[in-house]
Amino acid sequence: MNLYDGLLFFIVLAAVLVGAVILGLCEVRLKWYGLVATVAILLCVFDSWQSKACLAGFYILELLCVQIYLQVHEKCGKRPILWLFLLISLAPLTMVKLQPFVGTLGFFRLVGVSYMTFRSVQVLIEIYDGLIKEIKIADFSYFLLFFPSVSSGPIDRYRRFVTDLERKPSRDEYAEMARKGIWKLMFGALMNFGIGNFIYANWLAVLPESGLAATISYMYGYTFFLFFNFAGYSLMAVGTAYILGIKMPDNFNLPFLSVDMKDFWSRWHISLSTWLRDYVYTRFCAAALKGEWFRDRRTCSYIGYVITMMTMGVWHGLTPAYLIYGAYHGALMCVNDLLDTRWKRFKKIKKSTVGQIVLVLITFHLFSFGLLIFSGRII
Amino acid sequence: MKEKIMAILEDICGAEPGELEADTELFEEGILDSFGVISLFVEVEKQLGVKLEPTELERSQLATPAMIIAEVEKRA
Repeated sequence: MNLYDGLLFFIVLAAVLVGAVILGLCEVRLKWYGLVATVAILLCVFDSWQSKACLAGFYILELLCVQIYLQVHEKCGKRPILWLFLLISLAPLTMVKLQPFVGTLGFFRLVGVSYMTFRSVQVLIEIYDGLIKEIKIADFSYFLLFFPSVSSGPIDRYRRFVTDLERKPSRDEYAEMARKGIWKLMFGALMNFGIGNFIYANWLAVLPESGLAATISYMYGYTFFLFFNFAGYSLMAVGTAYILGIKMPDNFNLPFLSVDMKDFWSRWHISLSTWLRDYVYTRFCAAALKGEWFRDRRTCSYIGYVITMMTMGVWHGLTPAYLIYGAYHGALMCVNDLLDTRWKRFKKIKKSTVGQIVLVLITFHLFSFGLLIFSGRII
Repeated sequence: MKEKIMAILEDICGAEPGELEADTELFEEGILDSFGVISLFVEVEKQLGVKLEPTELERSQLATPAMIIAEVEKRA
């Protein structure tokens, strides 16, 4: 059984969600029901003993990691200790990413390891920041394994997630959440299975494998396919979360209306870009500013963008296409920042109607070309 | 403290003294970005000794100079 794929999954999902709706309308808190449902669904999705063992090993490692770090941090809040725990937490993901190069690591396969690792890493960093002072095993387990978003995001935040777990919505509040959740789930399914699959079958699958015209057509087709496929998945995950009483944040907000790349990353895969902003970009910039590493403070930002976008590339994988994709977006963010800070007319252009139309088209094409790199078709 | 925070903000945003109003929408107007926020946090810590962590506050809590001043004063 795969997540959001096949009749069997949707029958099981429907059964789980009907139970959630009944309990939610009876004003029962859904935390324990959702946790049990998450474990049950993951045991079905991870159908082989090998994948179950990998999931169990990963879960125990991450749980121990955050619980031990919480204790250690109380006694010693030094940054090198955080780094040590981050390395331990990142070890399973690193093993997966290194598999194409180190065949002996092939035994460790885990669907969703990227997204689950993001969840664990942010908890470690926020323990270091002093923002998380207590972690209940059940809360962390539910957050780490939360099945709706385990394979494709969005990446929720622990403190926000736990706030939802503690809330007990009234019957009317829950009914409204469930209504929104069902709508999101249905609309996401339409985007993914309807429009996304249609684009794939009638556009991408019938294109010749080479040739300039075919490659340009592929670039547009792949961009639209990925949007409908990915935004559809995300919306289904958000809808499912709503029905389980979790107000998971939306992951897309009309990205093809962005006027520049900064605007774009605040609308596309929002949970990933804000995660990278909060846990990579701002951390690097804060350290660089405090340490006065560069004469011009804006240099921190440029280098921060390159590091952040390269991290995104590496997270996708260690193949040249992903690394170049990361570097390409790092460069685009630097150019965007230069335009914002050095060319005063840029702000005015972004506010004029004609300027917006031109910039929307340029931004769309810059991103589409990035996806062409990402797809591996030209590299 | 208010004046100091406004001076830090003006410096970070490249604004003239008195150019920013208490209710200026910093993100909507494109005056403050992610780098501006982290620069603000670093300067507030350096000059006022008030530490703000990068994920402690949402953008909605830092939307205007008045809101930023209120958040810093709460922690001072």
